[in-house]
Amino acid sequence: MNRQSRALLSVLIFGVITFGAWRWLNTPERDDSAGEIVISEVASRGGRLTASLRSEPRTFNRLIDQNFPVDLYAILTSSKLIRVNRATRALEPGLVEKWSTSPDTLTHTLTLRDGVTWSDGTPFTSADVLFTFQAIYDPKVASVLASGLSVNGQPFKVTAPDARTVIVTLPAPFGPGIAILDNVHVQPKHKLQAALAAGTFRDALGVATPPADLAIIGPFMLRSYEPGQRMVFDRNPRYWKKDAAGIQLPYAEQVVLEVVPDQNAELVRLQGGQIDMLQQPIRPEDVATLRPLIDQGRVRVIELGVGTDPDLLFFNLRSPYWAKDPRREWITRKEFRKALSHAVDREAYANTVFLGAGVPIWGPITPGNKEWFSPNVFRYGYSVERAREILAELGLVNRDADEWLEDASNTEARFTLLTFRGNSSLERGTAFLRDALRPIGVAVDVVTLEQGTVVQRMLKSDFDAIMLFFSTTNLDPAMNPDFWLSSGPAHVWNVAQATPATDWEKEIDDLMREMTAQVDPAERKRLFDQVQRVFAENLPTLSFVAPRLHMGVSGRVGGLEPSILRPQLLWNVDRITVQSAGR
Amino acid sequence: MGRFLLRRLGFALLLVFVVSSAALLLTRLAPGDFTIDQALTLDPAARERLRAELGLDQPLAVQYLSWLRGAVQFDFGRSLLYSRPVSTLLSERALNTAVLATAALLFATAIGIPLGIYTGSRRRGLGRSIVRVLSVLGISMPPLIGSLMLVFIAARTGWFPVGGMSSAGGLDLSWGPWLADLATHLPLPALALGIPLAASLERLQSQAIAAASHEQFVTASRARGLARTQALLRHAWPVSLRPVLGLYGVMVASLFSGSFIVEVVTSWPGLGRLMFEALRARDLFLVAGCAATGALFLALGTLIADLLLAYTDPRAGSGERA
Repeated sequence: MNRQSRALLSVLIFGVITFGAWRWLNTPERDDSAGEIVISEVASRGGRLTASLRSEPRTFNRLIDQNFPVDLYAILTSSKLIRVNRATRALEPGLVEKWSTSPDTLTHTLTLRDGVTWSDGTPFTSADVLFTFQAIYDPKVASVLASGLSVNGQPFKVTAPDARTVIVTLPAPFGPGIAILDNVHVQPKHKLQAALAAGTFRDALGVATPPADLAIIGPFMLRSYEPGQRMVFDRNPRYWKKDAAGIQLPYAEQVVLEVVPDQNAELVRLQGGQIDMLQQPIRPEDVATLRPLIDQGRVRVIELGVGTDPDLLFFNLRSPYWAKDPRREWITRKEFRKALSHAVDREAYANTVFLGAGVPIWGPITPGNKEWFSPNVFRYGYSVERAREILAELGLVNRDADEWLEDASNTEARFTLLTFRGNSSLERGTAFLRDALRPIGVAVDVVTLEQGTVVQRMLKSDFDAIMLFFSTTNLDPAMNPDFWLSSGPAHVWNVAQATPATDWEKEIDDLMREMTAQVDPAERKRLFDQVQRVFAENLPTLSFVAPRLHMGVSGRVGGLEPSILRPQLLWNVDRITVQSAGR
Repeated sequence: MGRFLLRRLGFALLLVFVVSSAALLLTRLAPGDFTIDQALTLDPAARERLRAELGLDQPLAVQYLSWLRGAVQFDFGRSLLYSRPVSTLLSERALNTAVLATAALLFATAIGIPLGIYTGSRRRGLGRSIVRVLSVLGISMPPLIGSLMLVFIAARTGWFPVGGMSSAGGLDLSWGPWLADLATHLPLPALALGIPLAASLERLQSQAIAAASHEQFVTASRARGLARTQALLRHAWPVSLRPVLGLYGVMVASLFSGSFIVEVVTSWPGLGRLMFEALRARDLFLVAGCAATGALFLALGTLIADLLLAYTDPRAGSGERA
């Protein structure tokens, strides 16, 4: 490039920046800012709520898929028998108007709401409830809800003496009790019984199903689905729910879910007013980006509190994997994990990875799970010296000129840490850990892989160590037996064991079973505190920081009751209001 | 020309077969399968039952031969991800990609070629410098940054819709308003794709025409009294098209097989996104179908470029050395 071109380039860049700044400063405020509203005071019906969605549903059948887009579809179009209020954690009647429980807590008699109909006008009856349970327990359906709707591996017995009564009998005492019905999205028998009988239930309710063929019972009904672009939902005129003033819910006239796969583009759309709500918490660094709009009242950033999804670093604790590995003498020892835990400055981790928007944690139950978090769990305080002492006790000392420790067989203290590619928090977190463990002489080789590959390696026990975020779908630990029980498919450090491999895993199994069968809340908490104590003593997983979650939402949206669980804002979509002016 | 076309057709079929087979086999051989997403929620026995139901427990050879038998009858199987025929999904998304690719290509051609002729036929001048600087900027801009910048401008100014292929409720519109709606959504992704291509075309055309303008036959045409512009357009330009059309084939192929980054940022429902989603979900048949479509477009792109080249330079079509 010659001198003339360089000069011209400089002028051009200057011109572009000046023009951009001029446009920015002179962009007229949108009309909707003229009608500023106080969120909590909005109670009008009508309007269109536009929210973003990163990925699309693969099916409209919630019984076979629990990925977020499918769950969100179900929340918009379905009603629960009994709902756990995600903000207050209280049980609320849904399609079940009232219920009673037998003295032995095993039998629950549910009375269904009268006069409820599906969107096509067909009455909702106990036959639909029976059909839904039949589908969930059908082996051909392979429902993702089947294991959660069982106690000790045994399904519930569900009967219906009449059209408005359903009797659910649990096979054994169950701590969460009737709250477990929060997982059940009722399916229309009149639409799906033929598919279940033909063994094609998994193919029913595919995303190509014409909206007119979808019978729903929730606040919104699908109007159109444009693959790759958006889903448009209209108010269900036959929705059964009314507010305290007798106004028919939902308040909003329409909900649009715009498919925006890119997080940056999603944020730009919120800034531009094209969408009202993000479905994912915003990144800490994006809060500063939104600051001017927050100051103008056009966007709100809602702090949800500390997230309930812990980060987990776990080693492969399945013995055969290490049988011929010289590192087996120390890498599976709990003392080694304790040393690593001591070596990590969690405050610095929070500042580096989450820009300060995180709190240190020492176990898989974060302070965000207020009901079950135990503040008394042992904390491995930051101490490089203590970490070195423990490693020395394990026989790991520096035996040569490099910076890494070696064991007696001269094998380096080194392991490979797998994590998910494309997750910036995990990528930054593993890089931080690599640097944090260097001073104690432990080398970490970080390898980022596609999520499916990491999970596959985990299931095959083909890994040294893995770091991931564990998604908490239910705050009650009894509802997450897959993680806590040694036989569970999500018992990540040694999955699906036939019998507990260690005494402490057996102890946790026993405590969890006792806690699950216990109905007294105080006793359940005491038992789970014991689980956390045993867990902290043996450290099968290491946790470092739980992020504080923030949601971005347009100033024209009201009626929100934020929850820490997904979907954090849309879980009570029938009560969300939206100012229609300016659209 | 007939033999040339037959040869090209044979090459296209071979390419589609090899690429789609390789895509299916490699996806199948990669760790994990379609059920891996549910591995942490389904108990192992239920997951095995699901694998059996989806045919994922079959040996590789059985799966491949079964797919091949269908593929020769244009049945590319059923998507595990969407529970729909792969051919239906491909036709929907390929059409969307084709609309976007055509718009981007027209834009790039309409801007890049004339500007290339303009800058290539001048040795200095302010206009030439401005175009060269803009071209360097256009080429240097990574697609992600370029797309985001355009989305940002659209969001701030409201000049264009910020994403998608149609407005909400677009499906309910009649043809005329639907086309008008599409026309408002097209500029953003088309510009994101077209600007770097226009810049590349400008650079290549500029160099090619600068070289061609020094050929003896151009000088001779000027000596016979032909005006400079006429000599350039009538004699130099056709000769300069050879390298440009070479690039054109690759451009057509890459555009029509889907542009993942631009499609993601601008929410355009095209083939690139479909392929990405299929790969992430280990949807064997959809991956193979997307790869086959991409390969088909690649073959068609090179064929179109070759035909254009044969049209502008008959020596290429006859196999004569140029």
